[in-house]
Parts: sequence; structure tokens; C-alpha cells
Amino acid sequence: MELLILNGLANGLIVGGIYALVGVSLTLLYGVLRVVNFAHGEFVIAGSFFAFVLFSTLKIPPLLAVPLAAVAFFAAGWLLYYVLIPRLARSDDPELMSFLMFYGVSIAAAALMLLLFEADSRSIDFTFTPISVQIGPIYISTARLVALAITIVISIALALFLFRTLPGKALRAAIMNPEAIQIMGVDIVRLSAFAFALASSLAGVTGVLVALVFPAFNPFSGAEYTIIAFIVVVLGGLGNPVGALLAGVVFGLAEQMATVFLPQALAQIVGFVILVGTIFLRPSGLLGTRFRR
Amino acid sequence: MASPSRAADSADRIYFTLVALIGGALLAYFAAVPVLGLNVAFHFYLMLWITMASAFNVASGFAGYMPFGYVAFYGVGAFTTAILVKKAAFPLFLALPLSGVAGLVLALLFAPTLRLSGIYFGIVSLALAGICRLAITNMPEEITGGSFGLQLGSRAQPLQSFYVMMAVMVLALATILWLSRSRLGKALRATRDDAEAADMMGVNVPLVRLYGWLISAFFPAVCGGVEAWYTNVVDTETAFNTLITAKTVIYAVAGGLGTVTGPIIGAVAMVWLDELIWRQFPLLNLLILGVATVILVLFLPRGIVGTVLRRKPHWRRYVP
Repeated sequence: MELLILNGLANGLIVGGIYALVGVSLTLLYGVLRVVNFAHGEFVIAGSFFAFVLFSTLKIPPLLAVPLAAVAFFAAGWLLYYVLIPRLARSDDPELMSFLMFYGVSIAAAALMLLLFEADSRSIDFTFTPISVQIGPIYISTARLVALAITIVISIALALFLFRTLPGKALRAAIMNPEAIQIMGVDIVRLSAFAFALASSLAGVTGVLVALVFPAFNPFSGAEYTIIAFIVVVLGGLGNPVGALLAGVVFGLAEQMATVFLPQALAQIVGFVILVGTIFLRPSGLLGTRFRR
Repeated sequence: MASPSRAADSADRIYFTLVALIGGALLAYFAAVPVLGLNVAFHFYLMLWITMASAFNVASGFAGYMPFGYVAFYGVGAFTTAILVKKAAFPLFLALPLSGVAGLVLALLFAPTLRLSGIYFGIVSLALAGICRLAITNMPEEITGGSFGLQLGSRAQPLQSFYVMMAVMVLALATILWLSRSRLGKALRATRDDAEAADMMGVNVPLVRLYGWLISAFFPAVCGGVEAWYTNVVDTETAFNTLITAKTVIYAVAGGLGTVTGPIIGAVAMVWLDELIWRQFPLLNLLILGVATVILVLFLPRGIVGTVLRRKPHWRRYVP
């Protein structure tokens, strides 16, 4: 039993790191643009397929796929921003309409991946040597450890970027008060495009990590990650990147612990219950501070 | 003072003439479908989507909520009918209204979510639909049939269920037509636009919202029951498929939220388009549905009827 709990803790940290990245990118997007990206999970899975294609056609290992995905998804996000968002902003209720529009994007993206890769579950047939590492009494696969290391590096880099650099500070300022930042002379459209591109880029990288950590993925896995992203974002407080990082780890641990202590069927409900519970009991999220206006 | 009231009278006359014409044409057409040998399955689902989109319109267009887990009512309705008929040997015509009651009970359970607004409501609704699906999936197999679902046996009577679906659609449209002209409907719209102002004017905001929510929950639950009877089989994968929510929302928005005719026109146009695309490109169907949604939101956010009414605001008095 102790072994199971230790295993659960280790896996919770690893999975939680992934959830944290999924959540932080969605929360940045919501915070700056006030759009709800229902297709976020599909962006993530597109990243997994990106790594899959690179590996199966060009033999590019997943580690190298991480920077490639970052660049490719950044560019795609930048492009998608200018196609979708400016027109959306003109509707009566952009926030709610964004939910609906990205619902459409999510259906289209899943269908596109279905056409390209068919409904079969895929996995990347890449193994590290040694295949697993012993830490204390438990064994953890090297791929998972590598993924954890990458999530930690990305999280630190993101935190430094948000709190130490001027564009990062502009992003946080835009989350807090989008009107004031325009008075200060920031081009909000370019900043928003950057936020969208950054969020897409993070989602793509997360997808590569998903391919490393989880046994398989298919075109319909996206919906699960969208729900996870919502849970993390709400738990961390809408639009709060630090909260999302924390909430991701908390949720990862909670979920893995639930699989240890509860029957598998019930463990699935845990996430939904956390989501509904947070909104009713603590709508401002774990950290309790309102990051938004 | 005589002339404005006469103008209102004549506006009413045009309004009710339009209602009678559209309603009569709709009734005559659907009633004649089996007689004329048209595609019964296609028209069954057309009526189902008209009902779903119209009922969704009460929550979204009238009350201002976006329940992205709308499929919960449909799924619970489908399972209620299936379980009552199959396991408790209820007669079907008793089971169907009880499906509606199950929808009402579920709506009452979800009623606390009505104090949320905007995307919070949408996200919670989505999560609650997920909880409903998992709860039914995890019920004992003797009740819900587990992952195989429930077969209703040889109770299928396509023609009978077709006319029952038609009756449900007529009931739904009549209810919404009544609602749009009633005190309750006006109170709902006022609450949607400005809850505080409505409260000041003496509207019981939580109660009005609850009534709207119940109307909106009743019909999808009955639809689920009728569809279960029609197809003879119910399982959690299809009964709680998120595509059901997606289609309902898209059809309602395509026509235009907040009007009675909007969701009807939206459903007719989109179901017909869907059928056309599906026949031509079965593989591309889902992709085109997604792209169509994006285009709809970007270029026609008020829907077909909403856009027309914006161009011709004075038609608002005549169009149901």
C-alpha cells in the first residue's frame, strides 16, 4: 500500500506537471483575450501527432520535437489569431461567442486529425535507455522523468518571462487591466496575438510531452484535455498563471491518489467534482486572490 | 389614444396570421410525410432537432444561459424511458411523460447553478453532464445494461413514434409561442437584460429563471425518450454524446436566439445542409460542421432571423 501511495505521488507530480502546462496556457489565453478556448485539448493532441509524425517519418526523437513544436505552434497560433479573433470581437457578447466558436474549432480540429490519422490510438515507439530509473523503492520510466524535467524547465522559464521581462509584464498587466495598458502605449492587438501564439506554442509542447508520458492518444483525446484544462484553470483562478501552475500539480496529485484509493470509475468523477465544488465554494480559485479586474 | 391601439391590433393580426400560416404549413407538411412516402427517418430527426433547438432557446435566448451540458437532459430522458419500459414493464405512453419528469427533477437538482453566469455557468453545465454520464455508466448493469446499453426489444413502431415526436414538437412550439407573449416570457427577457432592474420592477428573479430552466429541461428529456423508443436502443456513448449539445446549440444559434421562428428555421436549414453534406461527403461531415460553426459565429452571430430583424427592426412586431 505504501508503495502504491509513493507511486501515486510520483505519478501525480509528473501528470500534474503536464496538467499545469495545459492549464497555464489556457489561463493566459483567457486572461489576456477573454476568449474561452474550447479547442485547447485538440491543440494539445495536435502537438502529440506532430511529435508522432516527426518520429515516424523523419526519425526525429521527441526531445528534439519539443523546440520544433514550440516554433511551429507559435506560428500557427499567430496566424489563427488574425483569422479568428478580430472579427469575433465585433459580436455582442465576445466571451460567450468565443466559447461557441472554439466549440466549432474543436469539432473541426478533431475531424481533421481523424481524417489524417484515423481513429486508432497511436503511441510513439521511442524508448530511452535505460527504460526506467529506480528512485528509492519505486521505478519510474525515464520518459516520464524527462517529461517532468521539461515541464519544470518550461514552468521556470515562463515564470521568469512573466515576472522579469517587459513583454511578460505587459501580458500580466493586460490580464489585470486591458484599458490601462493601452493608455500606457502598448499595442493590445499585437500583444493579444502574441498571447494567442504563446498559448498555442505551450499547448503544442505539452502535446509532445503527453506523447511521452501517456501510453496512447487518438484524435478524440482532445476533449479530455480540454476538460482537464478547465478544471485546472478554474481551480487556479480564471486568468491566474501562477494559480494554474499550482492547480495543475494539485489536480494531478488528487487524480492519481483517487486512482489509488477509489475504484477507477469513481476516480474519473473526482475532476468534475473538484470543478463544480471550486466554482461554488471558492470561485476565485486556490490562491483566493482575484487576478482579474 | 385610439390609433396606437388600433396599430397594435393590426400588428397582432399580422403576427397571429403569420403564426397560423407557419404553424399550419409545418403541421400539414410533417403530418403528410408518411402518407407521401417521404423519408420518415430524416423528418423524425428534423422534428427532434427543431424541438431541441427551440427548447434550448428558452434557456439561452430568453433566459441568457448557455448550458453546454444540455445533453444531460436528453441522456437522462432516454435512460428513464428505457429503464421504465424494459426493467419496470411500464407502458410506453406512461414512460415518456415520466422521462420529462426526470428532466424536471434533474433541472431542479441543477437549479443552484442558475446563480452563476456567463462562462462559469457553461463550464459547470459541461461538468455536470460529465458527472451524469459517469453516474449512469457506473450504475449496476442490471439497471442500465452497462456498456452494452439497453435494448427495448420489439417495441419499435416507426410510424407511431413519428407522430408522437410530432406531438412533442407541437407541444414545445406552442409552449414557446405562449412564453414569448406571456408575462413570464417578458420577465425572463427583462431578467436576462438586467437582473437588478427586473428585480426593482417586482420580478421574482430566481423564480422566473427557474421556470425558464424547467421548460428548457423538460423537452430534451422527452426527446431522449422518444428517440430511445424510435431507435430501440440506448447506451451512454450515444445518449450522452457531446455532439448532441453541439448540434442543438449550433442549430439554435444559426436561426437566431430569442425568437420563436429562429431555432425552427435554423434547424431546418442546418439539418437539411447536414444531410446534403453527409450524403456527398460522409467523411468530411464532422469537419464541415465544425467549420460551419466557426463561420456562423464570425459572420452571422445573430443567426438568420436575428440578422433579418436587425436590418428591418419594425418587423419585430410581426415576426413570432
